[in-house]
Amino acid sequence: MTDLEIIDLINTSLAEEFELDPAEMAPEANLYEDLGLDSLDTVDMVVVLEGAFHFKIREEESIREIRTLGDIHRFVIGKMRSAEKLSA
Amino acid sequence: MVPNNGLAGRRRGGRRLASWVMTLVGYPLTALWTFLGIALFPVLFLAWKLVTRWPAGRIMRHFIWLYGRGWVALNAPFVRFRREGLEHLRLARPSILVVNHLSFFDTYCMALLPFHDVTFAVRAWPFRISFYGFFMRLAGYLDVENFGWEEVLKAGEQTLAAGGHLLFFPEGHRSRDGRLQRFYSGAFRLAVETGAPVIPLCISGTDTLLPPGQLRLEPATVTLRALPSVDPSTYPGPDGHRELMHRVKGIMAEFTQERIEK
Repeated sequence: MTDLEIIDLINTSLAEEFELDPAEMAPEANLYEDLGLDSLDTVDMVVVLEGAFHFKIREEESIREIRTLGDIHRFVIGKMRSAEKLSA
Repeated sequence: MVPNNGLAGRRRGGRRLASWVMTLVGYPLTALWTFLGIALFPVLFLAWKLVTRWPAGRIMRHFIWLYGRGWVALNAPFVRFRREGLEHLRLARPSILVVNHLSFFDTYCMALLPFHDVTFAVRAWPFRISFYGFFMRLAGYLDVENFGWEEVLKAGEQTLAAGGHLLFFPEGHRSRDGRLQRFYSGAFRLAVETGAPVIPLCISGTDTLLPPGQLRLEPATVTLRALPSVDPSTYPGPDGHRELMHRVKGIMAEFTQERIEK
């Protein structure tokens, strides 16, 4: 998957599950202040991303640092690239 | 030229007059009722405690319910209050009630419920209102913005174990157009983790009583309708609570859409 495809899948999955307005889904959008998610939503978001990308991320410490949609994009792209390197 | 223009105009005029009378009478009566409640609270609280021996939280929830009943009675000359689907509530075991949100007065209308032991789970700002915040804390209401999940879960379990009900506004905010907004998942996660059934409640008419962005009250018919409960045990798995949430929202959307189309 290219970076753009990954970003598109993230945005589509989150918009569908959390009924977000795609027009508001800019990379700099803060998950809490701009997109209106709460702390439980971010826990659910992990489940949604695991389902969409077929990996486990709920135990990872760095996920706690995520604040914006762009942080999610970078986190998932990094995770996908690491998995590709391991399987190469 | 519209033939019934004169009649329609008189109706509009009559409605506007009723609206002003209601506003000029309704707010002072509500304020008076509130101040009376606050003034009598210490004596009544002690009397209730001596007679019933209930815990302080339950007494406070009973008072809030009675306060709401009083508000309903004071507004009855201008507002027609209707209750539907009460059979889904009368025999209900301790449940998680979820209700759509249209107006500030929705909380008052929860006095239409046939039981008083209801713990509200609400956002942080109402706890900052003078007097209201004190009474809400005494009633054991849950501040879902400042409580951590473990705290909400523990308090929720205790409420249900004591035979009470929990009430959530899963939209978190008032709807501006009557349509359901996105739901937050806390109520449904709590249902899955405690096994308590979810009872959807649909309220309508409070947005006519107090339209968004307006202070003037309007005559209205307010309906609180209870729908059949939904069993959370049929929604297992890590995202079961979200499936339950989508299911309940779908059921409630049918009613709210039906009401908008009317």
